[in-house]
Amino acid sequence: MGWEAVYLQQVINGLSLGAMYALLALGFTLVYGILELINFAHFNVFMISSFIGMMALELFGLSGQTHVLTGLPLAGVMIFAFIATMLGAGVIGVVIERFALRPLRGIPGTVGMITTIGVSYILFNIVLLTEGAGSFNFPNPMPRVSWPIGGATLELRELLIWGVALVLMVALHLFVNKTRLGKAMRATAQDSEAARMMGVDVDRVIVMAFFLGSALAGAAALIFGLYYNYTSFIIGYTAGLRAFTAAVLGGIGSVTGAMVGGIIIGLIEALGGQLIAVRWTDVIIFSILVLVLVFAPTGLMGRANPTKS
Amino acid sequence: MIKRATATIRQGSIGGEAFGFLRRASPVQLIPLHLRPHVGTALAFAFALTFPLLIDRNDADIDSAANALAFASLALGLNIVVGFAGLLDLGYAAFFAIGAYTYGVLASAQLMPAWSGFWEPFQWLHLVARVHQDSGDLVHFTVSFWLMLPLSAAVAALFGILFGAPTLRLKGDYLAIVTLGFGEIVPIVVRNWPSVTNGAMGLNGVAAPQLFGYSFGVTAMPYYYVGVGMVALLIFTSTRLKFSRIGRAWMAIREDEIAAAAMGVDRVKFKLLAFAIGAAFAGATGTYFVAKLQTATPEMFMFPVSVMILVMIVFGGIGSVWGVVLGAIILQVLQSWFLEDLSQWLHALGRLIHVEWLQHVELASSIELIFGVILVFMMLYRRQGLIPATRRVQALSLSEQTAQVELAAAPPVKRLRVLGDATYRGPDPLLEIKDLTVRFGGLVALRSVGLTVPAHSVVAVIGPNGSGKSTLFNTVTGLVAADSGSVHFAGHPIRGLAPHVVLGRGMARTFQNIRLFPNLTVLENVMVGMHARLHTGPVGALLRLPGTRREEREAREHCLEILSLFGNRLIPRADHVVSSLSYANRRRVEIARALASNPKLLLLDEPTAGMNPAETLELAQQIKSLHEHGLAIVLIEHKLDVVVSLADNVVVLDHGEKIAEGTPDVVRRDEEVIRAYLGRSAAVA
Repeated sequence: MGWEAVYLQQVINGLSLGAMYALLALGFTLVYGILELINFAHFNVFMISSFIGMMALELFGLSGQTHVLTGLPLAGVMIFAFIATMLGAGVIGVVIERFALRPLRGIPGTVGMITTIGVSYILFNIVLLTEGAGSFNFPNPMPRVSWPIGGATLELRELLIWGVALVLMVALHLFVNKTRLGKAMRATAQDSEAARMMGVDVDRVIVMAFFLGSALAGAAALIFGLYYNYTSFIIGYTAGLRAFTAAVLGGIGSVTGAMVGGIIIGLIEALGGQLIAVRWTDVIIFSILVLVLVFAPTGLMGRANPTKS
Repeated sequence: MIKRATATIRQGSIGGEAFGFLRRASPVQLIPLHLRPHVGTALAFAFALTFPLLIDRNDADIDSAANALAFASLALGLNIVVGFAGLLDLGYAAFFAIGAYTYGVLASAQLMPAWSGFWEPFQWLHLVARVHQDSGDLVHFTVSFWLMLPLSAAVAALFGILFGAPTLRLKGDYLAIVTLGFGEIVPIVVRNWPSVTNGAMGLNGVAAPQLFGYSFGVTAMPYYYVGVGMVALLIFTSTRLKFSRIGRAWMAIREDEIAAAAMGVDRVKFKLLAFAIGAAFAGATGTYFVAKLQTATPEMFMFPVSVMILVMIVFGGIGSVWGVVLGAIILQVLQSWFLEDLSQWLHALGRLIHVEWLQHVELASSIELIFGVILVFMMLYRRQGLIPATRRVQALSLSEQTAQVELAAAPPVKRLRVLGDATYRGPDPLLEIKDLTVRFGGLVALRSVGLTVPAHSVVAVIGPNGSGKSTLFNTVTGLVAADSGSVHFAGHPIRGLAPHVVLGRGMARTFQNIRLFPNLTVLENVMVGMHARLHTGPVGALLRLPGTRREEREAREHCLEILSLFGNRLIPRADHVVSSLSYANRRRVEIARALASNPKLLLLDEPTAGMNPAETLELAQQIKSLHEHGLAIVLIEHKLDVVVSLADNVVVLDHGEKIAEGTPDVVRRDEEVIRAYLGRSAAVA
């Protein structure tokens, strides 16, 4: 492959990673926009969802990458897997909100964040203790169809990832901007007290934010499994931090920002690994996080200001 | 009078007289109150010293105890950052790693540069040794453990400042994320820098400490005693700092950063100080830990370690020195002793009742699950931890609560002398504002506003809500940046100065929506106000030499006298946390806190808001007596009778513009003013 092809390939990879980070970043941004809370539990909601996705696929007797489906059965299985994973993830998010975070609402300071760290730890260890520390071969029923583009290859699963991410993001965008509940959500994010006075059921809005955010993390988790062909108890941490960086880069609290930030981080990961070295990828991404927070705290399109107290 | 008041406070915290018989019932109560902490400390220390004998010198157990002491040190360090200064640090293990590798590299065969004359003085100082090799002599670093303890602390503190400096402006949760990032980066750098750190393989053959020619080797006992000494020193340091000017400044930042700055606390400096001291604790502990293990790998310092230390301080009590030590020791002991035993018991139980999975439970591997559960449960049900940082104070007795309010309307001149000489005698006006303009986005909050406050005068600023009065205060005191114009205080330009500098120049303020430090006591709040007038630094707080003691004692007495300006309203409550006070008393505390900074000019933002007519009158007279004492005052006030009775001059703002200025009588008849306040039709009528 010539160097142009190498970079084109990395751009394709970066877009797939970016789609995943964008979906995951949306969960951070939805919750932060409304509660001003950094939800560390989100990291491991993502991780646990990948196991839900794996079980959903295994329901059809799929294992590894050898069972290949085509046509309608493939579409059916995929749609089922996405819906099941997203529902499962959403329910976990709602349970976390209801039992760990709602009792602490309105308490200032870092109490909420410390609690989400605890919840994250619990989820992490439940998986570690029940599933073990090994990594699992993630079933992928998609045929290995690929198209050559300028020396690089575009695979079917990449098209699927982009398609799913696009559909979900458009759906979220329409939901937030065109529906009644979406309007209530935006109002709560601006000023929850005023929204409550105007008759918005703030509890319902918060539950919705957790459900949607976690469900998107579920979609991201399934994408992770289909893309990397494995899952493990440990995947939440790195992916979560990168997605969080994406949310900050885009401007935390901004839905569009999370999408743009996700794509940028995905591209940086793919191209940075190519240009510098994979072992420094995390340092590069954390440096971006720190630099953005310090010098451009509102991110690319954010309105929240991380320096206000 | 003051002596009597403090005596009452002491009695109040012991307990009501009616329960005197109960006091004699417990042996603990026989120990005089002021000696009790010392007795407790002595008992804890005696236990720590005799512990190895108590457990029959079992090496493995002593080793666990030594590890527990290392984590107690880390918890004490993190407590300074999180508990005292309120900065959530999720990457604290990074400083632990820095301290560990600093010693590890300088006391092992990892770096072996070629020998040259350059190294001779170091060899003479026993910092390096010359190793003879056929291919040429090499340098072997052999820096002493005892030297490295403070040195690693200093290196880690330096990194604390380096990491902290660009990020401390961020608000709490973002700071947490950035520290998490640093916590990740440090082990990655360690792993990817094998020439210095030996990468993922880890450092090996780190030298054990030596004392008088005796090497500590691998037995746990000597390390245990070093650990006891270290924890004792860090407890001492933490306690001394906590109850000092430094600790008060940290807690003020934790409680309300803006108010802390307005009361003279240099936020950046004190946050960095907390970061540096916290990091130094971790650095020294890293050295201790590596010397004990004689090896170091990047895995020893990852995120789970940072979380574990956080769990320890949450469990023990955030901000509580003894609490975090206890939390660390309990969790470490749980981990190394009890979980093993508990698992054995569960296995036995499983065999007994024929439950298969019970026989395979390994609780030791679920320690992180237990940590997670502890975090969530402590946050939900006991946020103050095992040993709360703030002790409860006995509520006032009914007779104290309903005591006749001492007439404090006009404190005698004699008592006002406590405020010192507040009169400004310079040639320029005390405060001179010219053409001040402030914009918030498209909104012009202040448009070319001018204001002059001559020495020894009271100026009232009035105007409808949203007319820019509080913005004027915020701009003058440095909380909000002005777009143009000038502000001179006592002849010197002060526009653009940081809030704490403005306070230092002699201008103190109160806030419209009371900004006290909610979890500090009345006395502590007022003592934060004295921050800029005291000089104790971290070293002074630590040594507590006679000069420091005197300064602290005088500050305390001074603040009690300021409290007594409000008669018996605040004095009986001096040891109560302010969040338990009534609204009017909180306003009084805020004024007392401003007065404690010994200002020449006092800015009061709606001081009588929310007070009833009698309280308003009382406060108005108190303000008047402050003025008679020589203080200049700028007052934002809605109650016109207060304005008329106090002000020499009134400035009226509307929509950010000055629409009138003059004596109260003139302003009251001004049509423009009537229109702004009551609407056009009222002016016509």
